[in-house]
Amino acid sequence: MIIDILNLNGHGVFVWPSFIFPLLVCYILFLRTKKTLSKLEKENIKEIKILSQQKFEHIKKQKISLLNSKT
Amino acid sequence: MLNPKAKIRLSILVGAILFSAISIFLIFKTLEDNIIYFYSPSEIKQINDIDTNKSIRVGGMVKDGSIQTKKDEIKFIVTDFKNEIIVTFSGTVPALFAEGKGVVAEGKLQDKEFFLAKRILAKHDENYMPPEINKNLEQNAK
Amino acid sequence: MFKYLNPSYIFTITGKILNVLKFIVTPIIIIGVIFSVFVSPIDYIQGDAVRIMYIHVPSAWISLICFAAISFLAILNFLFKIKSATLFYKSLAPIGLTFCFIAIFTGALWGQPTWGTWWAWDARLTSMLILSFFYIIFICGYKLTSNSERSAKICSFISVLGLINLIIIKYSVSWWPTLHQPSSISLFRESTVHLSMLIPLIIMLFALLLYSALIFLMKYRIETIRVKKKSLKD
Repeated sequence: MIIDILNLNGHGVFVWPSFIFPLLVCYILFLRTKKTLSKLEKENIKEIKILSQQKFEHIKKQKISLLNSKT
Repeated sequence: MLNPKAKIRLSILVGAILFSAISIFLIFKTLEDNIIYFYSPSEIKQINDIDTNKSIRVGGMVKDGSIQTKKDEIKFIVTDFKNEIIVTFSGTVPALFAEGKGVVAEGKLQDKEFFLAKRILAKHDENYMPPEINKNLEQNAK
Repeated sequence: MFKYLNPSYIFTITGKILNVLKFIVTPIIIIGVIFSVFVSPIDYIQGDAVRIMYIHVPSAWISLICFAAISFLAILNFLFKIKSATLFYKSLAPIGLTFCFIAIFTGALWGQPTWGTWWAWDARLTSMLILSFFYIIFICGYKLTSNSERSAKICSFISVLGLINLIIIKYSVSWWPTLHQPSSISLFRESTVHLSMLIPLIIMLFALLLYSALIFLMKYRIETIRVKKKSLKD
Protein backbone atom coordinates (compact mmCIF):
# COMPACT_ATOMS: atom_id res chain seq x y z
CA MET A 1 0.00 0.00 0.00
CA ILE A 2 2.81 2.37 0.89
CA ILE A 3 4.55 1.42 -2.33
CA ASP A 4 1.33 2.22 -4.23
CA ILE A 5 1.24 5.67 -2.70
CA LEU A 6 4.91 6.28 -3.46
CA ASN A 7 4.55 4.94 -6.98
CA LEU A 8 1.24 6.60 -7.97
CA ASN A 9 0.93 4.39 -11.07
CA GLY A 10 4.43 5.25 -12.20
CA HIS A 11 3.91 8.99 -11.82
CA GLY A 12 5.30 9.14 -8.29
CA VAL A 13 8.77 9.97 -9.64
CA PHE A 14 7.30 13.20 -10.99
CA VAL A 15 4.58 13.97 -8.47
CA TRP A 16 6.57 13.60 -5.26
CA PRO A 17 9.56 15.76 -6.22
CA SER A 18 7.16 18.41 -7.53
CA PHE A 19 5.71 18.70 -4.04
CA ILE A 20 8.81 18.02 -1.92
CA PHE A 21 11.27 20.41 -3.61
CA PRO A 22 8.99 23.47 -3.76
CA LEU A 23 7.90 22.98 -0.13
CA LEU A 24 11.55 22.57 0.86
CA VAL A 25 12.44 25.78 -0.98
CA CYS A 26 9.52 27.53 0.76
CA TYR A 27 10.76 26.28 4.14
CA ILE A 28 14.33 27.44 3.46
CA LEU A 29 13.07 30.87 2.41
CA PHE A 30 11.03 31.01 5.63
CA LEU A 31 14.02 30.04 7.80
CA ARG A 32 16.34 32.53 6.13
CA THR A 33 13.83 35.34 6.46
CA LYS A 34 13.21 34.44 10.10
CA LYS A 35 16.94 34.44 10.85
CA THR A 36 17.48 37.88 9.32
CA LEU A 37 14.40 39.25 11.04
CA SER A 38 15.32 38.03 14.53
CA LYS A 39 18.89 39.28 14.07
CA LEU A 40 17.68 42.71 13.02
CA GLU A 41 15.08 42.85 15.79
CA LYS A 42 17.72 42.05 18.42
CA GLU A 43 20.05 44.72 17.05
CA ASN A 44 17.16 47.14 16.92
CA ILE A 45 16.30 46.61 20.59
CA LYS A 46 19.96 46.96 21.56
CA GLU A 47 20.29 50.22 19.66
CA ILE A 48 17.14 51.61 21.22
CA LYS A 49 18.49 50.68 24.65
CA ILE A 50 21.81 52.36 23.96
CA LEU A 51 20.04 55.41 22.60
CA SER A 52 17.70 55.68 25.56
CA GLN A 53 20.63 55.23 27.94
CA GLN A 54 22.50 58.00 26.17
CA LYS A 55 19.41 60.16 26.44
CA PHE A 56 19.05 59.27 30.13
CA GLU A 57 22.65 60.14 30.87
CA HIS A 58 22.30 63.32 28.90
CA ILE A 59 19.29 64.36 30.96
CA LYS A 60 21.07 63.33 34.15
CA LYS A 61 24.02 65.50 33.27
CA GLN A 62 21.72 68.39 32.50
CA LYS A 63 19.98 67.97 35.83
CA ILE A 64 23.28 67.75 37.70
CA SER A 65 24.56 70.83 35.98
CA LEU A 66 21.30 72.56 36.79
CA LEU A 67 21.66 71.54 40.44
CA ASN A 68 25.28 72.64 40.44
CA SER A 69 24.40 75.98 38.98
CA LYS A 70 21.73 76.48 41.66
CA THR A 71 24.13 75.84 44.51
CA MET B 1 -3.83 67.82 -9.03
CA LEU B 2 -0.39 66.66 -10.11
CA ASN B 3 2.57 68.83 -9.42
CA PRO B 4 4.61 69.79 -12.50
CA LYS B 5 7.44 67.35 -11.74
CA ALA B 6 5.04 64.44 -11.41
CA LYS B 7 3.45 65.50 -14.70
CA ILE B 8 6.84 65.31 -16.43
CA ARG B 9 7.45 61.88 -14.91
CA LEU B 10 4.01 60.71 -16.03
CA SER B 11 4.67 61.76 -19.60
CA ILE B 12 8.06 60.03 -19.52
CA LEU B 13 6.33 56.87 -18.29
CA VAL B 14 3.62 56.99 -20.95
CA GLY B 15 6.33 57.51 -23.56
CA ALA B 16 8.29 54.55 -22.23
CA ILE B 17 5.18 52.35 -22.29
CA LEU B 18 4.34 53.32 -25.88
CA PHE B 19 7.95 52.93 -27.01
CA SER B 20 8.41 49.49 -25.46
CA ALA B 21 4.98 48.25 -26.57
CA ILE B 22 5.66 49.26 -30.17
CA SER B 23 9.19 47.86 -30.20
CA ILE B 24 8.06 44.57 -28.66
CA PHE B 25 5.24 44.36 -31.19
CA LEU B 26 7.72 44.89 -34.05
CA ILE B 27 10.14 42.31 -32.63
CA PHE B 28 7.29 39.81 -32.44
CA LYS B 29 6.23 40.58 -36.00
CA THR B 30 9.70 39.79 -37.32
CA LEU B 31 10.14 36.73 -35.13
CA GLU B 32 6.68 35.34 -35.80
CA ASP B 33 8.05 32.15 -37.38
CA ASN B 34 9.97 31.37 -34.20
CA ILE B 35 7.11 32.08 -31.85
CA ILE B 36 4.72 29.75 -33.62
CA TYR B 37 5.49 26.43 -32.01
CA PHE B 38 3.85 24.24 -34.64
CA TYR B 39 2.05 24.48 -37.97
CA SER B 40 -1.36 23.00 -38.66
CA PRO B 41 -1.83 20.70 -41.68
CA SER B 42 -3.74 23.54 -43.42
CA GLU B 43 -0.77 25.86 -43.02
CA ILE B 44 1.53 23.17 -44.46
CA LYS B 45 -0.78 22.94 -47.49
CA GLN B 46 -0.25 26.61 -48.17
CA ILE B 47 3.56 26.42 -48.20
CA ASN B 48 4.76 26.85 -51.76
CA ASP B 49 8.38 25.73 -51.61
CA ILE B 50 8.93 22.79 -49.32
CA ASP B 51 12.31 22.57 -47.67
CA THR B 52 12.89 18.89 -46.92
CA ASN B 53 15.98 19.62 -44.82
CA LYS B 54 14.42 22.14 -42.49
CA SER B 55 13.21 20.77 -39.17
CA ILE B 56 9.68 21.93 -38.35
CA ARG B 57 6.77 20.94 -36.13
CA VAL B 58 3.31 19.87 -37.19
CA GLY B 59 0.46 19.83 -34.72
CA GLY B 60 -3.16 18.83 -34.63
CA MET B 61 -5.38 15.95 -33.64
CA VAL B 62 -4.57 12.30 -34.23
CA LYS B 63 -7.35 11.14 -36.55
CA ASP B 64 -9.60 8.46 -35.08
CA GLY B 65 -8.66 4.99 -36.31
CA SER B 66 -5.59 6.18 -38.17
CA ILE B 67 -2.80 4.75 -35.99
CA GLN B 68 -1.02 1.82 -37.65
CA THR B 69 1.92 0.10 -35.97
CA LYS B 70 4.36 -2.05 -37.92
CA LYS B 71 7.30 -3.44 -35.93
CA ASP B 72 8.84 -0.32 -34.43
CA GLU B 73 7.37 2.11 -36.92
CA ILE B 74 4.18 4.00 -36.20
CA LYS B 75 2.09 5.73 -38.83
CA PHE B 76 -0.83 8.05 -38.16
CA ILE B 77 -2.74 10.97 -39.61
CA VAL B 78 -2.64 14.44 -38.08
CA THR B 79 -5.73 16.48 -38.83
CA ASP B 80 -7.07 19.93 -38.08
CA PHE B 81 -10.50 18.84 -39.43
CA LYS B 82 -9.85 20.66 -42.71
CA ASN B 83 -6.64 19.15 -43.99
CA GLU B 84 -4.60 16.10 -43.10
CA ILE B 85 -1.00 14.99 -43.15
CA ILE B 86 0.46 11.51 -42.78
CA VAL B 87 3.16 11.18 -40.13
CA THR B 88 5.59 8.29 -39.77
CA PHE B 89 7.72 7.83 -36.71
CA SER B 90 9.93 5.15 -35.18
CA GLY B 91 10.55 5.26 -31.48
CA THR B 92 8.65 5.51 -28.25
CA VAL B 93 5.62 7.78 -28.02
CA PRO B 94 4.51 9.61 -24.84
CA ALA B 95 1.93 7.86 -22.67
CA LEU B 96 -0.72 10.42 -23.54
CA PHE B 97 -0.40 9.83 -27.29
CA ALA B 98 -3.74 8.45 -28.46
CA GLU B 99 -6.36 8.68 -31.19
CA GLY B 100 -8.56 11.75 -30.94
CA LYS B 101 -5.99 13.57 -28.79
CA GLY B 102 -3.66 16.43 -29.57
CA VAL B 103 -0.17 15.79 -30.89
CA VAL B 104 2.88 17.76 -31.99
CA ALA B 105 5.37 16.02 -34.30
CA GLU B 106 8.90 17.31 -34.71
CA GLY B 107 10.75 16.39 -37.89
CA LYS B 108 11.01 17.03 -41.61
CA LEU B 109 8.50 17.25 -44.42
CA GLN B 110 8.89 14.70 -47.21
CA ASP B 111 6.28 16.45 -49.30
CA LYS B 112 2.94 18.08 -48.60
CA GLU B 113 1.35 14.78 -47.63
CA PHE B 114 4.13 13.01 -45.73
CA PHE B 115 5.97 14.00 -42.60
CA LEU B 116 8.89 12.08 -41.13
CA ALA B 117 8.91 12.68 -37.39
CA LYS B 118 11.95 12.53 -35.14
CA ARG B 119 10.08 13.19 -31.96
CA ILE B 120 6.44 13.01 -30.89
CA LEU B 121 5.00 15.22 -28.16
CA ALA B 122 1.52 14.73 -26.77
CA LYS B 123 -0.66 17.79 -26.31
CA HIS B 124 -3.51 17.71 -23.85
CA ASP B 125 -6.40 20.12 -23.54
CA GLU B 126 -7.63 22.27 -20.69
CA ASN B 127 -10.27 19.79 -19.48
CA TYR B 128 -9.57 17.97 -16.25
CA MET B 129 -11.99 15.44 -14.79
CA PRO B 130 -12.12 12.08 -13.05
CA PRO B 131 -12.47 8.99 -15.33
CA GLU B 132 -16.03 8.23 -14.12
CA ILE B 133 -17.26 11.67 -15.12
CA ASN B 134 -15.74 11.27 -18.56
CA LYS B 135 -17.45 7.88 -18.93
CA ASN B 136 -20.80 9.43 -18.03
CA LEU B 137 -20.23 12.22 -20.52
CA GLU B 138 -19.40 9.73 -23.26
CA GLN B 139 -22.50 7.67 -22.47
CA ASN B 140 -24.68 10.75 -22.55
CA ALA B 141 -23.18 11.75 -25.88
CA LYS B 142 -24.23 8.37 -27.30
CA MET C 1 -8.34 57.26 12.32
CA PHE C 2 -4.74 58.41 12.12
CA LYS C 3 -3.85 55.71 14.58
CA TYR C 4 -4.17 53.13 11.76
CA LEU C 5 -1.75 54.95 9.50
CA ASN C 6 0.93 55.28 12.12
CA PRO C 7 3.97 53.13 11.12
CA SER C 8 4.57 51.94 14.68
CA TYR C 9 0.91 50.89 14.94
CA ILE C 10 1.22 48.97 11.66
CA PHE C 11 4.41 47.45 13.04
CA THR C 12 2.72 46.05 16.16
CA ILE C 13 -0.34 44.86 14.21
CA THR C 14 1.79 43.02 11.64
CA GLY C 15 3.63 41.40 14.53
CA LYS C 16 0.36 40.05 15.89
CA ILE C 17 -0.81 38.82 12.47
CA LEU C 18 2.57 37.16 11.96
CA ASN C 19 2.20 35.13 15.15
CA VAL C 20 -1.21 33.86 14.05
CA LEU C 21 -0.02 33.09 10.49
CA LYS C 22 3.01 31.14 11.72
CA PHE C 23 0.70 28.64 13.37
CA ILE C 24 -1.90 28.21 10.65
CA VAL C 25 0.22 28.13 7.48
CA THR C 26 1.81 24.71 8.02
CA PRO C 27 -1.45 22.86 8.84
CA ILE C 28 -3.20 24.39 5.82
CA ILE C 29 -0.33 23.43 3.50
CA ILE C 30 -0.45 19.88 4.92
CA ILE C 31 -4.23 19.73 4.35
CA GLY C 32 -3.68 21.01 0.81
CA VAL C 33 -1.04 18.38 0.07
CA ILE C 34 -3.23 15.60 1.52
CA PHE C 35 -6.13 16.74 -0.64
CA SER C 36 -4.04 17.01 -3.76
CA VAL C 37 -2.11 13.75 -3.42
CA PHE C 38 -4.56 11.42 -1.65
CA VAL C 39 -8.13 12.71 -1.70
CA SER C 40 -8.55 14.13 -5.21
CA PRO C 41 -9.36 11.75 -8.07
CA ILE C 42 -7.04 10.92 -10.95
CA ASP C 43 -7.54 12.58 -14.33
CA TYR C 44 -9.19 10.67 -17.17
CA ILE C 45 -6.18 11.09 -19.48
CA GLN C 46 -3.26 12.10 -17.33
CA GLY C 47 -3.85 9.79 -14.39
CA ASP C 48 -1.86 10.70 -11.30
CA ALA C 49 0.32 13.23 -13.13
CA VAL C 50 -2.53 15.74 -12.82
CA ARG C 51 -1.66 16.14 -9.13
CA ILE C 52 1.29 18.31 -10.11
CA MET C 53 -1.26 20.89 -11.26
CA TYR C 54 -2.23 21.61 -7.64
CA ILE C 55 1.17 23.11 -6.93
CA HIS C 56 2.09 24.28 -10.43
CA VAL C 57 -0.96 26.42 -11.13
CA PRO C 58 -1.14 28.31 -7.78
CA SER C 59 2.62 29.03 -7.94
CA ALA C 60 2.31 30.40 -11.44
CA TRP C 61 -0.64 32.57 -10.42
CA ILE C 62 1.14 33.94 -7.37
CA SER C 63 4.24 34.79 -9.41
CA LEU C 64 2.06 36.65 -11.92
CA ILE C 65 0.05 38.52 -9.26
CA CYS C 66 3.26 39.39 -7.43
CA PHE C 67 4.82 40.89 -10.53
CA ALA C 68 1.69 42.90 -11.27
CA ALA C 69 1.78 44.24 -7.71
CA ILE C 70 5.48 45.14 -7.67
CA SER C 71 5.23 46.85 -11.06
CA PHE C 72 2.25 48.87 -9.89
CA LEU C 73 4.12 49.89 -6.72
CA ALA C 74 7.33 50.69 -8.58
CA ILE C 75 5.47 52.90 -11.04
CA LEU C 76 3.60 54.55 -8.16
CA ASN C 77 6.91 55.28 -6.45
CA PHE C 78 8.37 56.64 -9.68
CA LEU C 79 5.43 58.98 -10.30
CA PHE C 80 4.61 60.25 -6.83
CA LYS C 81 7.75 59.48 -4.80
CA ILE C 82 5.85 57.34 -2.31
CA LYS C 83 8.71 55.94 -0.25
CA SER C 84 6.59 53.32 1.55
CA ALA C 85 5.86 51.68 -1.83
CA THR C 86 9.53 50.68 -2.05
CA LEU C 87 9.19 48.77 1.23
CA PHE C 88 6.25 46.84 -0.24
CA TYR C 89 7.90 45.89 -3.51
CA LYS C 90 11.17 44.96 -1.86
CA SER C 91 9.23 42.58 0.38
CA LEU C 92 7.16 41.12 -2.48
CA ALA C 93 9.76 40.57 -5.20
CA PRO C 94 11.66 37.63 -3.58
CA ILE C 95 8.35 35.78 -3.04
CA GLY C 96 7.36 36.23 -6.68
CA LEU C 97 10.76 35.04 -7.90
CA THR C 98 10.58 31.94 -5.70
CA PHE C 99 7.14 31.01 -7.02
CA CYS C 100 8.21 31.72 -10.59
CA PHE C 101 11.04 29.19 -10.20
CA ILE C 102 8.65 26.73 -8.53
CA ALA C 103 6.19 27.08 -11.42
CA ILE C 104 8.93 26.43 -14.01
CA PHE C 105 10.36 23.49 -12.05
CA THR C 106 7.02 21.78 -11.45
CA GLY C 107 6.06 22.54 -15.03
CA ALA C 108 9.09 20.58 -16.23
CA LEU C 109 8.14 17.68 -13.95
CA TRP C 110 4.59 17.81 -15.30
CA GLY C 111 5.68 18.09 -18.92
CA GLN C 112 7.79 14.95 -18.96
CA PRO C 113 5.02 12.41 -18.16
CA THR C 114 2.31 14.20 -20.16
CA TRP C 115 3.84 15.92 -23.19
CA GLY C 116 6.94 13.75 -23.30
CA THR C 117 9.43 16.57 -22.82
CA TRP C 118 10.81 18.59 -19.91
CA TRP C 119 10.92 21.84 -21.79
CA ALA C 120 9.64 23.29 -25.04
CA TRP C 121 10.38 26.70 -26.49
CA ASP C 122 6.73 27.57 -26.94
CA ALA C 123 5.31 31.00 -26.24
CA ARG C 124 3.96 30.30 -22.74
CA LEU C 125 7.05 28.58 -21.36
CA THR C 126 9.47 31.06 -22.88
CA SER C 127 7.55 34.09 -21.63
CA MET C 128 7.44 32.54 -18.15
CA LEU C 129 11.23 32.10 -18.25
CA ILE C 130 11.53 35.75 -19.29
CA LEU C 131 9.38 36.68 -16.27
CA SER C 132 11.96 35.06 -13.98
CA PHE C 133 14.67 37.14 -15.69
CA PHE C 134 12.58 40.25 -15.11
CA TYR C 135 12.29 39.37 -11.43
CA ILE C 136 16.07 38.95 -11.18
CA ILE C 137 16.76 42.25 -12.97
CA PHE C 138 14.16 43.98 -10.78
CA ILE C 139 15.76 42.68 -7.57
CA CYS C 140 19.22 43.67 -8.83
CA GLY C 141 17.72 47.05 -9.72
CA TYR C 142 17.13 47.94 -6.08
CA LYS C 143 19.83 45.81 -4.44
CA LEU C 144 22.77 47.05 -6.46
CA THR C 145 21.92 50.73 -6.63
CA SER C 146 22.37 52.79 -3.49
CA ASN C 147 20.85 55.90 -5.05
CA SER C 148 17.10 55.70 -4.36
CA GLU C 149 16.22 58.05 -7.24
CA ARG C 150 18.10 55.94 -9.75
CA SER C 151 16.71 52.65 -8.40
CA ALA C 152 13.17 54.05 -8.70
CA LYS C 153 13.85 54.83 -12.36
CA ILE C 154 15.38 51.41 -13.10
CA CYS C 155 12.65 49.49 -11.27
CA SER C 156 9.81 51.38 -12.95
CA PHE C 157 11.30 50.86 -16.41
CA ILE C 158 11.70 47.13 -15.76
CA SER C 159 8.11 47.15 -14.52
CA VAL C 160 6.83 48.62 -17.78
CA LEU C 161 8.60 45.95 -19.83
CA GLY C 162 7.56 43.28 -17.34
CA LEU C 163 3.92 44.30 -17.49
CA ILE C 164 3.93 43.89 -21.27
CA ASN C 165 5.50 40.46 -20.75
CA LEU C 166 2.77 39.68 -18.21
CA ILE C 167 0.10 40.36 -20.83
CA ILE C 168 2.00 38.14 -23.26
CA ILE C 169 2.10 35.31 -20.70
CA LYS C 170 -1.61 35.65 -20.08
CA TYR C 171 -2.64 35.53 -23.74
CA SER C 172 0.24 33.46 -25.18
CA VAL C 173 -1.91 30.32 -25.19
CA SER C 174 -4.70 31.97 -27.15
CA TRP C 175 -2.64 34.10 -29.55
CA TRP C 176 -0.25 31.43 -30.80
CA PRO C 177 -0.31 27.66 -31.17
CA THR C 178 1.56 26.36 -28.14
CA LEU C 179 2.33 23.01 -26.58
CA HIS C 180 0.98 24.37 -23.31
CA GLN C 181 -2.75 23.87 -22.91
CA PRO C 182 -5.07 26.91 -22.80
CA SER C 183 -6.16 28.22 -19.41
CA SER C 184 -8.85 26.24 -17.63
CA ILE C 185 -10.02 28.81 -15.14
CA SER C 186 -11.31 32.23 -16.04
CA LEU C 187 -13.48 34.78 -14.31
CA PHE C 188 -15.84 35.02 -17.24
CA ARG C 189 -16.75 31.42 -17.94
CA GLU C 190 -17.22 28.12 -16.22
CA SER C 191 -13.97 26.38 -15.34
CA THR C 192 -13.03 23.28 -17.30
CA VAL C 193 -11.65 21.66 -14.16
CA HIS C 194 -14.05 19.28 -12.44
CA LEU C 195 -15.21 20.37 -8.98
CA SER C 196 -13.47 17.45 -7.24
CA MET C 197 -10.18 18.77 -8.67
CA LEU C 198 -11.03 22.41 -8.15
CA ILE C 199 -11.25 21.93 -4.36
CA PRO C 200 -7.60 20.87 -3.81
CA LEU C 201 -6.53 23.57 -6.27
CA ILE C 202 -8.30 26.25 -4.24
CA ILE C 203 -6.97 24.89 -0.92
CA MET C 204 -3.41 24.91 -2.28
CA LEU C 205 -3.87 28.42 -3.68
CA PHE C 206 -5.16 29.59 -0.31
CA ALA C 207 -2.30 27.86 1.54
CA LEU C 208 0.39 29.32 -0.70
CA LEU C 209 -1.22 32.77 -0.51
CA LEU C 210 -1.11 32.57 3.29
CA TYR C 211 2.52 31.47 3.10
CA SER C 212 3.25 34.43 0.82
CA ALA C 213 1.53 36.74 3.29
CA LEU C 214 3.70 35.33 6.09
CA ILE C 215 6.94 35.88 4.18
CA PHE C 216 5.73 39.27 3.01
CA LEU C 217 5.06 40.46 6.57
CA MET C 218 8.43 39.18 7.80
CA LYS C 219 10.23 40.84 4.88
CA TYR C 220 8.23 44.01 5.46
CA ARG C 221 9.42 44.12 9.08
CA ILE C 222 13.00 43.54 7.96
CA GLU C 223 12.80 46.39 5.47
CA THR C 224 11.16 48.73 8.01
CA ILE C 225 13.88 48.06 10.58
CA ARG C 226 16.53 48.64 7.90
CA VAL C 227 15.01 51.99 6.98
CA LYS C 228 14.81 52.97 10.67
CA LYS C 229 18.43 52.02 11.18
CA LYS C 230 19.49 54.06 8.18
CA SER C 231 17.60 57.11 9.42
CA LEU C 232 19.08 56.65 12.92
CA LYS C 233 22.59 56.61 11.54
CA ASP C 234 22.13 59.68 9.39
